[in-house]
Amino acid sequence: MKGQTSALSKSTAVKFRIPTAENLVPIRLDIEVDGQRFKDAFTWNPSDPDSEIVVFAKRTVKDMKLPPVFVTHIASSIQSQLADFRSFEGQDMYAGEKIVPIKLDLRVNHTLVKDQFLWDLNNFENDPEEFARTFCRDLAIDDPEVGPAIAFAIREQLYEIAIQSVASARESRISKKGRRGAEHAIVSKAGGTAMDLVKLFGHKSSVVRKRKEWDVYEPIVDLLSNEEVDALEAREERNGR
Amino acid sequence: MELPQLDPTSKQNPPDEPELDLYTIPSHSSWFSWDEIHATEEVSLKDFFDGSSITRTPKIYKEYRDFIINKYREEPSRRLTFTEVRKSLVGDVCLLHKVFFSWKWGLINFAAPSTGGETLVVGDEERYKVKIEGVPTGIRVVAMPNSIKPISALPSVGDSGGAVDNGFKLPTLASYSDVFADLMTRKGLVCGNCNEICDSGHYKCMKGDLLICVKCFKNGNYGESKSVDDYKFNDCLQNSSNVGAVWTEAETLLLLESVLKHGDDWELVAQNVQTKSKIDCIAKLIEMPLGDYFEFCPEKNKIGDQHDEQRNESEHNGDAENRGPPLKRQRIASAPGDGGSLMKQVALISTVVSPHITAAAAEAAVASLCEENSCPREIFDGEDDYVTNGLLSPTENCETKRVLEDPEMKERHSQSGDEDSCFKKDDIPLTLRVRAAVATALGAAAARAKFLADQEDREIEHLLAIIIGTQMKKLHCKIKHFEDLEMIMKKKHAEMEEVEDFLISERICVLQRAMSAGIPRWRDHSYVKS
Repeated sequence: MKGQTSALSKSTAVKFRIPTAENLVPIRLDIEVDGQRFKDAFTWNPSDPDSEIVVFAKRTVKDMKLPPVFVTHIASSIQSQLADFRSFEGQDMYAGEKIVPIKLDLRVNHTLVKDQFLWDLNNFENDPEEFARTFCRDLAIDDPEVGPAIAFAIREQLYEIAIQSVASARESRISKKGRRGAEHAIVSKAGGTAMDLVKLFGHKSSVVRKRKEWDVYEPIVDLLSNEEVDALEAREERNGR
Repeated sequence: MELPQLDPTSKQNPPDEPELDLYTIPSHSSWFSWDEIHATEEVSLKDFFDGSSITRTPKIYKEYRDFIINKYREEPSRRLTFTEVRKSLVGDVCLLHKVFFSWKWGLINFAAPSTGGETLVVGDEERYKVKIEGVPTGIRVVAMPNSIKPISALPSVGDSGGAVDNGFKLPTLASYSDVFADLMTRKGLVCGNCNEICDSGHYKCMKGDLLICVKCFKNGNYGESKSVDDYKFNDCLQNSSNVGAVWTEAETLLLLESVLKHGDDWELVAQNVQTKSKIDCIAKLIEMPLGDYFEFCPEKNKIGDQHDEQRNESEHNGDAENRGPPLKRQRIASAPGDGGSLMKQVALISTVVSPHITAAAAEAAVASLCEENSCPREIFDGEDDYVTNGLLSPTENCETKRVLEDPEMKERHSQSGDEDSCFKKDDIPLTLRVRAAVATALGAAAARAKFLADQEDREIEHLLAIIIGTQMKKLHCKIKHFEDLEMIMKKKHAEMEEVEDFLISERICVLQRAMSAGIPRWRDHSYVKS
């Protein structure tokens, strides 16, 4: 445990931002109006002026040939998600190393992707888009929508974990327990997501995984036929409602 | 060194020693050793060596590295992908990504084929590096615009992972003019030091290939590790169009005439053109757009093999109008480094056609180019005038065109200085030349194709006529045959009637005789019918 506390004590507080090379906020849209459903997921640069949101919404509606009532819905959805992001912005989050497992389980058109890997949440040079690019290239994925979907999924998970860490940082400040107690609390809270660094990277262990675990961390990419896609879509809709 | 000291011929290892596999690795990664971490690695992957975190230690780096290299060596001919290794290694995938792709030293994937599909890879610094599979013909790759030092595409072997350093780095949003600026600007010798054009002479280094201008030489900027003695003064190289002797109209005229007269005898030519030396004459002639003209001298074969067929053809036809495409070809062939294969094709196409067509096509190409741009008009028309003076009878097309332009040209020439026209003539921009040549060749090929097509049409018609004639004959024969048959039938019919008549008369005779003899009537009278 000593090692871990020392690692944490090295951490400095950093202003909240998306912990990637580019500070882009993942935005998810799921709007239903008069039986017509519009789902989308993309990244937004929070430093863009807000006037851009309406422009973007209008263009989306025009391109996707949606009824004009969607414009306001889209714009308001984006704005509320951005507002959420900005509410965290002023606060501190812990920097310092935090290895978290990221799981991918998504379907893009006909491609199904399942994967699991480790990601350092606090390394601000990490780039999900680059990872997605390498992923698609190595696995020879033809569909150009898969890459951005993977990057988005990673970003979303990082965003959630980052929010959690901000929340826990806030709690630790509020908590009246002593310093050590606070750190333990953080450990226990963060322990759910972060990996035990000492166990993984310490002197006694090897960074090469055991072979039986290779399958767990191996990416699985499946191409589905049209019927399977329809079946999955139907199931998703049922689950969604 | 990493390679085990195996004698490849001897197969008799002592039984207790393990079999060592021999791996070849590129020589630029020969510093690598299993047992230690080299300084190169430490420098480029600082994260692991600055003790900033327990997840990044030299030990961990070594484990990653050894694992990846071993994985690659299991199957050196296949390209190891990042995704294959990251599943087996614990750690931040982005860090692993960095480690994997930072190995430009050829530790892995040096023997693997590069993937053809990769055309755009974002490097670490997010600059766009374009991978070029060799250089397209007709393009010369230079290290930077305005420099004439061409670089060749780096070999694809020796790259690791996906970050490709083949070809050359373009700045983001590079445009055509950035890359090919030097092709569009005037070609002149550029000083290796200050990157300016060397106007008057320049200094050539004896040891290397470095050229510096007079200014740099005076200032003492000789370039690294070279001294005053290394440089030799070079005035007016043959390649430089701006530098060198100035040729007046009269001189050029004399030159052309003497070349016509004396062919390849440069001594005589130089004598005629008194003010210029032999070398100058040759240089001038090569540079002049009608450089191919003197191929017609039957004695010698001056230009390269690609013009041989052309020459033969022209000899046969004895016509002086090949100056169209060969002009441009000659000029281009003498320029260094331009796509030889493209030009060869152009040349080959042109040689297939007869010179009349070629000339007409050339004129058409020139005309269309002129319409686009008034500058080429001056350039092309400038040479027209010179050519008129020295040549034999041209084809009608060319003649009419030139006659029209001659009066203009004469005026223009009297106005513009000699230097100007010389300069313009010698300095036909490369791109225009290329386009003119290509247009000409295509025009010539099209003309030929049309000619062939016409021929085919005629053949077809001819054959059709023959067929129709034959059918007619056949019908005639049949008709005749039937007529003959009819004749025969008529005759037979006539004969039959005669025989019938005869039979009837015979019967009557017999009956008469029977009656006169008083024989009683037979019972079978009813059978006797007429």
